[in-house]
Amino acid sequence: MTPDAPYEIRSAPAGQAEQQTPAHVQQGQPAIIIEGLCKKFGTHIVLDHFNLTVGKEENVVILGRSGVGKSVLIKCIVGLLRPDSGRILVFGKNIPDLDHEEIDRVRAKVGFLFQSNALYDSMTVRANLEFPLRRHWIAIDQKEIDEMVQEVLDNVGLGHTADMMPEELSGGMRKRIALARTLILKPEIILYDEPTTGLDPVTGREISRLIVEMQKKYHTASMIISHDMGCVKTTADRVALLIDGKCYTEGTYDALKRSNDKNIAQFFE
Amino acid sequence: MANLKISSLKLGLFVLAGLFLFILTLYIIGKNQNFFGSSFEVRARFSNVNGLIPGNNIRFAGIQAGTVKHIRVINDSSVEVVLSIDNEMKPYIHKNAVASLGTEGLMGNKVVNIVPGKSAAPLIGSGDLLATPKTVSTDEMLLTLATTNNNIAEISEGLKGTIRRINQSKALWGILDDGSLAGNIRNSLRNLSQASLHTNEMTRDLGDIVSDIKEGKGSIGSLVRDTVLSSSLARAVEKVRDAGASIDRLAGQLDETVQDIHRQVAEGKGTVHALLQDSALARKLDASMENIRAGTDAFNQDMLALQHNFLFRGYFRKLEKEKKKAAAKNETAGTH
Amino acid sequence: MASTSKFQAFLTETGDIARFTGRYFVQGVRPRFEIGELLRQCFLIGYNSFPLVGLTGFIMGLVLTMQLRPSLVDYGVESQLPVMVGVAIVREIGPVITALIFAGKIASSMGAELGSMKVTEQIDAMEVSGTNPFKYLVVTRVAASTLMLPILVILGDTIALLGSFIGVNIRANTSFTLFFRQIVNSFNFGDVLPAYIKTYFFGFAVGIIGCYKGYYSKKGTEGVGRAANSAVVMSSILIFIIDLIAVQITDLLGIN
Repeated sequence: MTPDAPYEIRSAPAGQAEQQTPAHVQQGQPAIIIEGLCKKFGTHIVLDHFNLTVGKEENVVILGRSGVGKSVLIKCIVGLLRPDSGRILVFGKNIPDLDHEEIDRVRAKVGFLFQSNALYDSMTVRANLEFPLRRHWIAIDQKEIDEMVQEVLDNVGLGHTADMMPEELSGGMRKRIALARTLILKPEIILYDEPTTGLDPVTGREISRLIVEMQKKYHTASMIISHDMGCVKTTADRVALLIDGKCYTEGTYDALKRSNDKNIAQFFE
Repeated sequence: MANLKISSLKLGLFVLAGLFLFILTLYIIGKNQNFFGSSFEVRARFSNVNGLIPGNNIRFAGIQAGTVKHIRVINDSSVEVVLSIDNEMKPYIHKNAVASLGTEGLMGNKVVNIVPGKSAAPLIGSGDLLATPKTVSTDEMLLTLATTNNNIAEISEGLKGTIRRINQSKALWGILDDGSLAGNIRNSLRNLSQASLHTNEMTRDLGDIVSDIKEGKGSIGSLVRDTVLSSSLARAVEKVRDAGASIDRLAGQLDETVQDIHRQVAEGKGTVHALLQDSALARKLDASMENIRAGTDAFNQDMLALQHNFLFRGYFRKLEKEKKKAAAKNETAGTH
Repeated sequence: MASTSKFQAFLTETGDIARFTGRYFVQGVRPRFEIGELLRQCFLIGYNSFPLVGLTGFIMGLVLTMQLRPSLVDYGVESQLPVMVGVAIVREIGPVITALIFAGKIASSMGAELGSMKVTEQIDAMEVSGTNPFKYLVVTRVAASTLMLPILVILGDTIALLGSFIGVNIRANTSFTLFFRQIVNSFNFGDVLPAYIKTYFFGFAVGIIGCYKGYYSKKGTEGVGRAANSAVVMSSILIFIIDLIAVQITDLLGIN
């Protein structure tokens, strides 16, 4: 990784800070374009020519039943899984074509909130937050890191937990820390893998509100995988329904709610 | 993983302790094997190193003095051992020191012991050849045997001439009339007859050995056949046989003479006085007898040494057994 | 049929481990080098194992000495007790027992740690955070265990010999100088170097197997448990196999 690359990445969100365009209106180049994405495991076809576009500062919720390949989809976007065919353009770059260094440069602009939080349980909260910073921006000094950690912790409302271990925190707090860890890089895109799963409804709602809040604050595009309708309702600018490896339909939450299609309606009962 | 703070100090201490111990061990072993420190080399030749290997210790007066550097075979009967000895031992080892092989403890490693020589000698230098203890080897023994036999042959030749002259000299018999002289002569003659007896026995023994060796009987036979020893042994044996033959003849003549003299002394006839005048002849006769005795003594010693040499030990033991058996047979035959 | 598929599974796993090892070397020589994490793992793997290795080493030296004494007394070579124990510990028992203890502690913790990191997506998170998890997790751990086991063995041997010294002094009386001299004088390079060199391979085997089992553990709690368990079993067996190979090689080289 070249040392100057991270600085380009950092400057990107700052440039967009003044834009106040409604999120669902696509401006210029979209953040993510997925075209004809196919992925199968053995003989089991998970994604079958899936198409989706996510605009800048837009929150798209991918709705689907468990095991339909929603997680596979977003893992393909960050290059954790390699698609069999199709294109995934993130900031205009096709992810499957990139080499390791280029993909790392893209990943620095794409946050990923794992379903299981994936906090490093051998590290303190502070070390967890510092980790991506140190890995992506090799040259920054400790004072700057400390400030950024504190800022992002305050943003998720857990400023006091910096020196605690992840195991000492509750599920909701861990989710917030995990969110803080994705936010600390000031990403342009955040991918949420079932952010409210495993949380009680109250905490789930809190997290959903936090996602929206942070999205406003950091001006990110988001792709949220969920089957928690509360979360979908709170966060979605647009909902894409994933059925049988294809994008079955897409539209706003309200539009889909009104639909009589059996496949759509089953989610809104 | 509760303790997350790593202490570089502790890690460093841990690693350095391990490395230090390892290097220390290697250093001590190296020091024991003379990898460090200055040393010099001397050589020693052995006929058999009994499983000595490079790295075995060298002791000087019981003190660790170095290690065996390498061992090489010079020829079929000698092996050269190069000894690497600490320089600090140099002022104490003299040129006449003797290197011998030994064993550490009951079942331990082989060691080379360097024992200081008895007399004064200059200090040892690098590359010197240390003496090793003389192992009594068969070829050396046969070599001395051959020399001795040469001597005997010469003596017996001289003795033969003397006896002839005694026989021809009428004056000699005069001597025997003199009473005091007669006693002396009788003594001498007794010695002479004893000597001839010894000579006889020995000749017989030698003859037996020779014939056995020629037939290639027993271990000695095969040994003789296989090595360079055999030619020198054959030469020695040839000489032994020659000597034996002449001794045999000599003994026969001596026997006759002695019996003649005995008879004449007993009869009291002859002109002893006339012989007395020929004092030179008398002295010569005396000296001859002394010589032949010395010769047979030396021969006896050689035979004794031969008997103790491990190669011949078995042979002589067998010989003795057979003798005993024969004696026992005779006895039983006698009683019946 | 069942045995065929088992054999196939065995071959497949052997191939996978070989590929994993190859990947280790390929990734290990390429920058960037995770020096900080390597040192951290050295501390966790090496320094933190020292008390355990020291304790077992001490007991081993003491017990071995006391067990060997009666036989040596029977043969009348009681004075050779330090030499016997010294050679046994340095050549074989020290490296193997220490490696087994090490496998029990380290391979299981690697299997469990990497396994749970895998299950909780921490490995994916690491990759997303611009870190090559193979380098960060596997290369550092394998390198650390390769480098640390020899040091642990040396220290463990030393403590075992101290235990042996005490063991000798329980029934008899020997000075430390005599004990030390007896042992050290009986050593040569053929005793120490092969034993030392093979510990690197032991350490490497423990690291590779522990990481392999963890890195490819199946999802779920059971998968993690199985990863930890089979990491210990397999690395222990591998230690003995390497020991067998090592003795053949030293024998062939004539330095045994």
